[in-house]
Amino acid sequence: MEHILLRDLDIPDIWQFDTYLANGGYEGLKHAVKHSPSEVIQIVLDANLRGRGGAGFSTGRKWSFIPQDAAIKYVVVNADESEPGTFKDRQLLEHNPHQVIEGALIAAYAIQAAAVYIYARGEFWDLSYALEDHIDEARQANLLGENILGSGWSCDVFVHRGAGAYICGEESALLNSLQGLLGQPRVRPPFPAQVGGGLYYQPTVVNNVETLANVPWIMLNGADAYKAIGTPESPGPKIFCVSGHAARPGNYELPLGTTFRELIFEHAGGVRDGKALKAILPCGASGPVLPATDDVLDTPLTYEAVTKLGSTLGSASVILMDENTDMVWAAARMVHFFRHESCGKCTPCREGTFWLERVYERLLRGEGTPRDLEILESVPRQMTGVTLCALGDFAASPVLGTLQHFRDEYERYVGISAPEAEAVAEEAVPVEAGAGGEL
Amino acid sequence: MTVTITIDDRPYEVPAGATLVDAAKMHAITIPVFCYHPKMNPAGMCRMCLVELGSIAKNRDTGQPELDDNGQPVIRWFPKLQTACTQIVSDGLVVRTQTARVAEARRDILEFILTSHPLDCPICDKGGECPLQNLTMAYGPGESRFSYGDKMHLDKHVPLGELIFLDRERCIQCARCTRFCDEVVGDDVLAFHERGRSLQIVTISDPPFDTKFSGNTTDICPVGALTTADFRFGARPWELDEVPSICPHCPVGCNISASTRLDREAGGKKIIKRVMPRQNEQVNEIWICDKGRFGHHHSRAADRLQRPVIRRGDEFIEVDWQEAYKQIASRLKQADGDVGFLAGPNLSNEDLWELRKLAGLTGKSPRLGIWPATMTGGDVIAQVGVGVGTRLQDMGPESAILVIASDLDEEAPIWWLQVKQAADRGAVVIVANGRQTKLDRYASAVIQYAYGQAVEVLNSFAARARSRRKVARPLVESRVDGYDDLHEALKGTRVPHADAADALLGAENLVILAGGEGLALEDHAELMQAAANLLIITGHVGRANNGLVAVWPGANTQGALDLGFSPEVTADLLANPPAVWVIAGADPVAEDARAAETIAGAEFVVTSTQFLTATALQADVILPRQSFAEREGMFTNGMRRVQRFYAAQGPVGEALPDWTIYAQVGARLKGDKPRLSAGAVMRDITQHVARYAGMSYSRLAQVEPQFPNVGGSDLYYGGTAYANHGGLGVQWATDAEDESARLIVRPVELPDRPAAGDLIAVPVRLLYDRGVLFGPSTLMHRRVPAPYAGLNSQDAAPLGIADGDQITVSIGEHRFELTARVNGRAPVGTVLLPRQLGEFPVPAAPTVCVVHKIEE
Repeated sequence: MEHILLRDLDIPDIWQFDTYLANGGYEGLKHAVKHSPSEVIQIVLDANLRGRGGAGFSTGRKWSFIPQDAAIKYVVVNADESEPGTFKDRQLLEHNPHQVIEGALIAAYAIQAAAVYIYARGEFWDLSYALEDHIDEARQANLLGENILGSGWSCDVFVHRGAGAYICGEESALLNSLQGLLGQPRVRPPFPAQVGGGLYYQPTVVNNVETLANVPWIMLNGADAYKAIGTPESPGPKIFCVSGHAARPGNYELPLGTTFRELIFEHAGGVRDGKALKAILPCGASGPVLPATDDVLDTPLTYEAVTKLGSTLGSASVILMDENTDMVWAAARMVHFFRHESCGKCTPCREGTFWLERVYERLLRGEGTPRDLEILESVPRQMTGVTLCALGDFAASPVLGTLQHFRDEYERYVGISAPEAEAVAEEAVPVEAGAGGEL
Repeated sequence: MTVTITIDDRPYEVPAGATLVDAAKMHAITIPVFCYHPKMNPAGMCRMCLVELGSIAKNRDTGQPELDDNGQPVIRWFPKLQTACTQIVSDGLVVRTQTARVAEARRDILEFILTSHPLDCPICDKGGECPLQNLTMAYGPGESRFSYGDKMHLDKHVPLGELIFLDRERCIQCARCTRFCDEVVGDDVLAFHERGRSLQIVTISDPPFDTKFSGNTTDICPVGALTTADFRFGARPWELDEVPSICPHCPVGCNISASTRLDREAGGKKIIKRVMPRQNEQVNEIWICDKGRFGHHHSRAADRLQRPVIRRGDEFIEVDWQEAYKQIASRLKQADGDVGFLAGPNLSNEDLWELRKLAGLTGKSPRLGIWPATMTGGDVIAQVGVGVGTRLQDMGPESAILVIASDLDEEAPIWWLQVKQAADRGAVVIVANGRQTKLDRYASAVIQYAYGQAVEVLNSFAARARSRRKVARPLVESRVDGYDDLHEALKGTRVPHADAADALLGAENLVILAGGEGLALEDHAELMQAAANLLIITGHVGRANNGLVAVWPGANTQGALDLGFSPEVTADLLANPPAVWVIAGADPVAEDARAAETIAGAEFVVTSTQFLTATALQADVILPRQSFAEREGMFTNGMRRVQRFYAAQGPVGEALPDWTIYAQVGARLKGDKPRLSAGAVMRDITQHVARYAGMSYSRLAQVEPQFPNVGGSDLYYGGTAYANHGGLGVQWATDAEDESARLIVRPVELPDRPAAGDLIAVPVRLLYDRGVLFGPSTLMHRRVPAPYAGLNSQDAAPLGIADGDQITVSIGEHRFELTARVNGRAPVGTVLLPRQLGEFPVPAAPTVCVVHKIEE
């Protein structure tokens, strides 16, 4: 099957402007500007494109929330890809950048935005310089800038590099950071689409890179063709980032609805060294771990089905853990990550992540007590559902997930002496979450 | 407008637009908070205010509430708890604050906060008045599950500048302090650094924490993280007696609480340990400036004058009061009416009254002067002063505020703050002065005129009102005298700032705050009349949020004007000096060269003073007067609000209040028995001064509930001293508020323009100076600049003067050595001379001067 998103796998130099044009590039934009903005929104609504950043919210609805009479509107591309084990946006921006720019411009046309800001994570500095060159090429061809393609609509695109904070992938913190403020989430309402809630407090659409990469294809091929891919509720292709103990880690573009089993065993080559699969993190560090049971493996990768399992599809960064993985150690790594990345704005997340990390440190030193297990049961629950943004929930999920499915491993930690704990720790093979994953 | 909400199954009427926390608090329902503060925008950070929230479900077609099987409205609950601080109330909102789920959430949040808190309450300044302590007792877990060994330890004495210290361990990251600086004051001086558990407050300004309002952050801090260098480790809150007082430093008349204690430092006597704001929503709300907070040390300075002193030849001899009174009385009798009286800027009304009565005993037409005599217009204020109930803090998009000839930030900081906030809310703020001031950045229009030409701005606005038919005809026709002349005089007046004029004239409310910068006394009289003209003909008089405010030089200049003292008499006293001077609470010799010469030539000088001032050294009898801290009395603030202050500390030496001193002298002239209490003096005033007729001490002491409800029984807004037990004061009504009174307008005279090429020395007021009452607060010395003169580069360059050079400024025979500041602040042709910065007298009015560079 030809790729819709990772077209670089079919056409290796599609990152070049001429190659992209020669292969139907910017046709989606040309198609879009022949329609009225509201018609463009309707097409995306009909396609039921859902946000690929993690929440799976309808993209067309997001665009339709923008008040049409607002004088200034913005599109912000969320390229702050920072979920552990997620490396799809990077591949898109490096190898198929024009498709993202085109998608962003279609979004900007749909809401009649005056500017697009691409917020790239700080570590994407090399990529973002190249991206600026790609934007220049498009500007030369009047695909952005003044009076785009004679439509009378003008819009420019800018790249902004963040400073390396996970929280700035959260849209309201991203907007603060883009404005030069401290990267902390905002109180909502007002939401970004509303006056007072967006970039510089103007109505703003914030979309993920992969989401926008879908848009040119939808414009060209129509909503029905798009809905023919995937499932009715979760249509379209999705890039799955497979990492951890996979034999062939990497990005795999497959229709939503593909099962875990097919993704892991047919595409990613199963678990390396022929070991047994113990557990799966379906969305990086921010959703609960799933044990590798047949039920789980036969579950289709859709927003609904994974939620039903008690986890979430999120950005679909699938991290595999083999039979030798120490789940307490793995949870400790994730808790460490969230403690480091908590912005500190609200109490439960700031204090809860710190507390949890201290408990895990004790456990790993072999100094844990049964009382610590009680704390691990209750503190994450105290953090869940009460914070300003979702990071508090994310930070709780590694603890609650591993406790639910692998409680026996915790009990070993609190029931055994220090030397034995060290032995356990040595025996365990650390999971290698593909942070940034080279292909 | 109100809406109906349901809290814990009971309906309540609450004001639309209020936050749920405030709405509940209005009905004495507690929704505890840490980060929320009713004077700031909600932040939703601490999560302490989580409640169960829902709304009454309505049928989409009919708009009627849906009913369940029992006929009760169906309520749609949010699945998660919601923060009440970020929730604006609306009709049909349903809230539960007392459920197990809410209680559990509160306990959870407190447990989290306490994991990172040092729990050093036994040595913490806030202990005893600490919101975290209070809420932990009310809602917290009884014990901690957090292992003490896991605590993160941080610096406990981080100076944020020299006034405020930060204890990083105690900070709970509520951002009240940073939001106060950013939102309320607009000074970008504090910020968060780092993130997560490492999130910490830092100062990002140079000099550090560079704002005149820094002390307020210590009041609103909900823990003991921010403390003042003045008070930290000084006492425990429960040892302190809060004495209601009034700040003696400027005409705003901020209500303060003097926290007092019997103290070892004072030999076991009662002294002021700290000064905190006392809530008066009509005046300073819950804020005070740093001068008010830290400028109280004059009251117990070691060099306070302790006993009466008389001059014998070249010697000063301490005497008892009887001897002093006798001397004064006999000299006053001999003087045969040739006596001049000067009243200083912070004499209380009681003092002024007894001084006036004494003056009446010395001659038929007593000469009662005000010091400093830089501003006038008591009669104008009596006509068109701001309407009773005026609150700058209420003014918004429908209002305009004109600030003219005043650097409000330096002269009356709390008014500056309130005008700035009015601008934030959308009020039209127009700033007119001869130079840039800090308020400019919030102004809709800034008008920079040549010093002396302030009245032209007011005339042009009045002319615009005339030509654009903005004249309030019914008022003018029914009760204004002199309109025809004014109408004629305004004909042909240029309107160079038409946009500003139209913005101002389009507003429903107009308040003018007029200072005296760059104006001689007679020119200031014209400015006040020009302001009155504009207000009267446009009808902006006689009602709240309209009228004139004079930014007087003293805390009780208004009282002095009310009780018959005048700056014009001061000018006359200097021009035609009396043989005998009685100078109460003023130091004219240090402040004004001409006064120094005149007083040096007097036959006999009596002065009451806290310190051995330059005036005292010229005097024949020096009388120790009590500071505002040792006695009771009342000041009348710049908005004519008469406010009581109470005795906070024990007497110093044999010092007495001025009213006692002058009543005792009077008794020796007339044989009448002096009154025994300040209250009795007040009764005398109310019987003789019509404007004060309805005001008794008890009336002035009345309080009524104020919103927001902070201090007192409140658990979570901090600052126990906020509670107002001393009275809200009473504002007297102007003529404009009396429908039967006539209002007078007249054409004003334009002052002469200075000769081309002359350099004019313009005296300016600084908040932080070396004045008698501020100097003893040594903590503040780093904020007081070295004596300087501001020059424009166009004037400085030909004289070879660069920024930082040492220069001399000569005015007449006087030469001052100063540092030149050539920083773009002084307009061409002027030399800005801050008053009371050094040991030399700056003239009170603009004067021609000559500047030279001092060659090294």
